[in-house]
Amino acid sequence: MMAEEARTLTIEITRFDPDRDEVPKTQEYEIQVQDDWKVLDAINYIKDEVDPSLSHRWSCRMAVCGSCGMMLNGEPKLTCKTALSDYDSKLKIEPLANFPIVRDLVVDMDGFMEKFRKVKPWIVRAKERAEDMENLSEKGTFSQSPAQLASFKQFSMCINCLLCYAACPVIANEPEFIGPAAIALGHRYNLDTRDEGDGQRNAIFRGEGTVFSCSFANECSEVCPKNVDPAAAVNQAKLGAVVDWAKGLILPRGGA
Amino acid sequence: MKSLLLKLEPIIWLLFGAGLSIGTMLLTGFVLIVGLAMPMGLVDAGALDYTRAYSLGSSLLGRLVLLGLIALPLWKGAHHLRSLSIDFRGGDRDGIVGGLLYAVAVCSVIGIVAVIRL
Repeated sequence: MMAEEARTLTIEITRFDPDRDEVPKTQEYEIQVQDDWKVLDAINYIKDEVDPSLSHRWSCRMAVCGSCGMMLNGEPKLTCKTALSDYDSKLKIEPLANFPIVRDLVVDMDGFMEKFRKVKPWIVRAKERAEDMENLSEKGTFSQSPAQLASFKQFSMCINCLLCYAACPVIANEPEFIGPAAIALGHRYNLDTRDEGDGQRNAIFRGEGTVFSCSFANECSEVCPKNVDPAAAVNQAKLGAVVDWAKGLILPRGGA
Repeated sequence: MKSLLLKLEPIIWLLFGAGLSIGTMLLTGFVLIVGLAMPMGLVDAGALDYTRAYSLGSSLLGRLVLLGLIALPLWKGAHHLRSLSIDFRGGDRDGIVGGLLYAVAVCSVIGIVAVIRL
């Protein structure tokens, strides 16, 4: 029964062995694929049955872990979420754009991790307060209304798959730009009522190569597989900078 | 220059946003009315005859609207050209290029104001 649904597909995959190759090259694989496969299933099939030397990252197969992002015919996509039936004749699989290649389809994420740490993506409290501990024992943890949760929940859905970095035209030109996911996650904690670290994060956000480097091409939000809308976060952060700037004009020092 | 631009980024972006809204919405509507609706007779051509346009343009409110209609899209244009310069790998020159472009936009507005003595 399955054989009837099978078809032959030529898949072009980027190959790069840092010990032997100067530059990445491509290799073609002609394989029998099933209609209900995701792109990741085809890559796993090649790895298991055709060419065990192929290297790629993957884990959960359900668009949660964020490790299988690749360029499919030039577009950044999660391979576990993309149906192979979307590609009739030709499929070209490359490692995520705008990142250094480690090997084949595996990219080096260290640059992102550094940017990510910079925005302090955790709850920052001004100081550990006595009432914090009191609240903990009496009412449970910090209370937060559904409306307060809704203001940032969308931005907390980011899985760090880095598709937005591969799509961002500013990153392509200025690799030092802090980028969509890092801003979205920093902004997520700025919006969190439990957090008191917005001053520290805004100092980063309003420095060089940050929110105002964004030219609002909106590509990050177009490619995001979790509908995080990082472009909205970046522009909300810009607006926050404008509001604080205006407050600084009206209020005396420290008022903002 | 670069650090000055970075400091002024909020107001640069605010003026750009205003120019973007005006340039894409109001000016498009204006072109639709003057360039299409009037010649097609959908709007009475007398609505913007010389005396009416003159009195509109010489009231204080009219002058302020005209200033916004001219200055903000010019600022938006300067900002777009600055982004274009960065896109063409001009990141290192951004301070001087950006500063020059905004200066040209401001000078153009001053020039226009001087000529029509708003």
